[in-house]
Amino acid sequence: MALTITCPICGKRNGYEFRFGGEEKGPRPVEKDLTPQSWCDYVHMNNCVAGVQEEWWFHKDGCGSWFSIYRDTTTNYEVEKMEVANNEQA
Amino acid sequence: MNRLNALPTLQIDPSRKISFIYRNKQYYGVEGDTVATALYSNGIRIFARSLKYHRPRGIYSLDGECSNTCMEVDGIPNVRCENTLLKDGMIVKEQNVVGSLENDRMSFIDKIDWMMPAGFYYSTMHKPAKIWPIAMKQIRKVAGLGVLSPEFKMTGKYDEIFPTADVCVIGGGPAGMSAALEASDKGLRVILLESRSVLGGFFEYRSHEYKEGQSYHDRAKELSAQVEGAEKIRVFTNASMIGTYNNNLVTGFQIGGKNDSFDERYMEIRAISVIVATGCIERPLLFENNERPGIMQMGCALRMAHTYGLVPGDTAVFSIGHDLGIETAICLHDLGVKIACVADIRKSGQASKLVAQLTERNIPFLTGWVATKAHGKKHIKKVTLATLEGRQPTNYDCDLLVASAGLTPLTSGITVAKGTVKYDGHTGCFLPDKMPAKMYAAGRIMGFDDALSIESSGRLAGCRAALDCEACSTTELSDAKNQLDGLPDPAAGCKLVIAPVEGRKSFICFDEDTTIKNINQAIEKGFDVPELIKRFTSAGTGPGQGGIPGHNLPLYVAKYQGMSDVSIRSTNVRPPVIPTLIATYAGSNHSMFKRTPMDEMQRNDGGIFRNIGVWQRARYFSSDLSCKNEIENVRSNVGILDGSTLGKFRIFGPDAVKALERVFVSDISKIKEGRIKYSAMCNDDGCVIDDGVLIKQGENDYYFTTSTGRAGSTIEWIRYHTRYDDWDFHMVNLTDSMGVINLSGPNARKVLEKIVDIDMSNTAFGFSEYKEFQLDSTIPVRCMRLGFVGELSYELHVPSSYMKTVWLMLGEAGKEYNIQNFGVEAQNVLRMEKCHIILGQESEQRTNLLDVGLGFLWNRNKTEAKTVGAVALRQAENDQTRLKLVAFKMENKGRAPRDGALIVDKKVRGYICTARDSFTLKEGVGMALVEGDLSKNGTRLEIYEDECGDDRIYGEVVPMPLYDPKGIRMKM
Repeated sequence: MALTITCPICGKRNGYEFRFGGEEKGPRPVEKDLTPQSWCDYVHMNNCVAGVQEEWWFHKDGCGSWFSIYRDTTTNYEVEKMEVANNEQA
Repeated sequence: MNRLNALPTLQIDPSRKISFIYRNKQYYGVEGDTVATALYSNGIRIFARSLKYHRPRGIYSLDGECSNTCMEVDGIPNVRCENTLLKDGMIVKEQNVVGSLENDRMSFIDKIDWMMPAGFYYSTMHKPAKIWPIAMKQIRKVAGLGVLSPEFKMTGKYDEIFPTADVCVIGGGPAGMSAALEASDKGLRVILLESRSVLGGFFEYRSHEYKEGQSYHDRAKELSAQVEGAEKIRVFTNASMIGTYNNNLVTGFQIGGKNDSFDERYMEIRAISVIVATGCIERPLLFENNERPGIMQMGCALRMAHTYGLVPGDTAVFSIGHDLGIETAICLHDLGVKIACVADIRKSGQASKLVAQLTERNIPFLTGWVATKAHGKKHIKKVTLATLEGRQPTNYDCDLLVASAGLTPLTSGITVAKGTVKYDGHTGCFLPDKMPAKMYAAGRIMGFDDALSIESSGRLAGCRAALDCEACSTTELSDAKNQLDGLPDPAAGCKLVIAPVEGRKSFICFDEDTTIKNINQAIEKGFDVPELIKRFTSAGTGPGQGGIPGHNLPLYVAKYQGMSDVSIRSTNVRPPVIPTLIATYAGSNHSMFKRTPMDEMQRNDGGIFRNIGVWQRARYFSSDLSCKNEIENVRSNVGILDGSTLGKFRIFGPDAVKALERVFVSDISKIKEGRIKYSAMCNDDGCVIDDGVLIKQGENDYYFTTSTGRAGSTIEWIRYHTRYDDWDFHMVNLTDSMGVINLSGPNARKVLEKIVDIDMSNTAFGFSEYKEFQLDSTIPVRCMRLGFVGELSYELHVPSSYMKTVWLMLGEAGKEYNIQNFGVEAQNVLRMEKCHIILGQESEQRTNLLDVGLGFLWNRNKTEAKTVGAVALRQAENDQTRLKLVAFKMENKGRAPRDGALIVDKKVRGYICTARDSFTLKEGVGMALVEGDLSKNGTRLEIYEDECGDDRIYGEVVPMPLYDPKGIRMKM
């Protein structure tokens, strides 16, 4: 696996050590107002961005923490958050 | 055949013989030989018959650029013999022949090539459609090269390593070594890959002068001594790169030598920067019969003599487009080969020193001439040379033709990582253009020909890589640049695309038997892009991975189309760029599993073990796989089971309850100390994924168990579902540090009472209660009264290191009751009779908490906890279409169906989860998941088993549980 991921605790490591945890979708919604549709969207629907997306990873063969990174899905390169912000401004 | 034995460049030791079998006869090679050179030294000249036309093929590149030397070695077909070191006792066989290599009865196909134009496979034999299945069978008989025997078993040791380095240098020639030295001088850790068995590359086998008083070979030795002396350079020889990827990942494999612990090993190298110094291969010369045995490339002829001590012919003709050809002619002449003629395609530009040496030796030298046709059926006998315009055809007798249009960079290391190459009109080569991040090219791959330029470009690449690693100053970098700028630029290359011939038997791709005529046919059909022509004609799709046609195909297509230099487009290669054994990718046999603390004792007791998840567990304790004795002993006496594989966790901290409430469906805050709470976890779809028990050990401090299979991902699961909450809690996985003993049966209390000094009576320690105590005032035990198997039952959680001791104490105490082991299968039957579920057996991925009848665990009033699965459960609550778990008995005390059998009427209505012939109940019983309308008591179930034909067996839905409905026995 060519992918490398930067764990906030262990640093830049081989992608093999991590498990993918899906796109960043925000915290769990409050249950009161949920419809079956909106709940299903939260759990199952993804944006599938061709470009930079924020996503969750778990360092399974390391420190055991969950964290999010920015990754360009077209190149498989990790991107600094600063770069993302700059590109959005531009 | 006598070997040359006085050359300094030799890589063989003629005094050490190695025997091998070829065609059932014993032959000898010498140490250092490849299979191909050993065969050659025994007079073998034909090594293979080609894919389609069964043309004879011989040694051509000596580097595995084509399938010309593919043979069956030790049962493995399609082994490139010229890359395979000879080992004692190897069994070598020819392949793709009917008869022998010398007389292949299929060689008539060469004459009917007109029947097989490019793409005939796609365009003929399809109409009428009936023909195709018949034709296909015939084609499959003749298609392909080697055949793998169905009985073949791969042997050997395969390993894998995942090293890291600051700089990875691909290619151990002068440029690669210079780059590696430069980087290591700057304090960096370097990995150097060389596909041959010695470092030195382009310099290694050449005896000509590098500088006054020093040969190229000596220079190679000098550099390689420096590299081997450099502490920070890790050298891998016999190691080929097979892929490069982004983030500077380099993959490859290494072939092990005599003293290595592996036969082959896969390598995955992670480096900060990568230097590609893979040098050049040769561009084949296109003329009629350009692949007859006896025709070889310049480097091949020179290495045959200098590296392996084999004189490649008696009388040689040269048709070449590079100074290396002239050098080779001079060397072979000096070794006693008669050089009939050296025909240089280039009209000018030869090194004057080399030309003078030809003149000194009276070797006829022609410029602007080229070979147009090779003669001889099985081996070259003579060659026709002509001017580039095809005039003055002249025949020369020879048994060796050295033919090469020049050199061409081996750029796959760059292009597979999505770097690009661009055609360069000056050198006539595809040179690196856009490089991937932190990857640099060095040496001949950049077109350099001059020895000093090659080394200097290596040092520059080393500096660039060092800069990426912050170990090089910009001044050092510009010094290196200036040094290279002061040295000779790349020389003009030979531009000839094809000799003046029609091309019916001019092979552009040897592997796939693709001729120039085939390419013409494809272009005439409308294919215009080399990449598509490659697909249609299959040129470059063989084991050589485009080594032979890679450069010529785009050149020829451009020439045919009359395009200018700039738009000549190269074809692509993909990993693995070198054929790699699947065994090498697979690595060693990863049959790994965990053993419980009781493993050895249980094996001694006759336990029959099975893999369960990551563990091995005792499934049976006798050859009676129905486990009658084990089951009856638990029901009537007392049994002991090792349950150490259960997941065991501690969770504590101010927010521990919140975290548990998130993942468990129950209300955790209501758990009282000293009591056991059974609960379950769901996923966000409400599907039940795990169950276990929880115990409160203090304020915000809990101990809980999970099923065996989920132990590995429980912490991940809890952390995932609380990742936004910033809660303060900690978890410890105690699965391996705690063992579990399950003591079950009506006599369990009597056994336990003998070793425990607390009150074990039913009133003092009732069902579903929890106690902690010590054995012998030393061993801490966490004891739970559970009833999984439906009997009086204690679960003892003991530190792993004390497991054997406690087990032996129980065994001793239970002697008078004849305490017996029981295994996982007995437990499975016992709990099934009690209708206690095992997740994964009474559930599958789509089964939710309510389906399996565990809805009572779910506390629906804790919405603020946002319990995982609660929303989906609420939505599924009134869904009548879902499967329901039911218990059933077989009609007329019939036998139990097999697990997984289907419940049917006119369609599939459910399936059997677990069913057994119950010794306790004296009939076939089980549990099944069925559609809602079949779940009422008394419903008749029609059961379909695999291969039962029209026969059905029938059961009837009955109330749960099947055994001891009032639960008296487990509460006694």
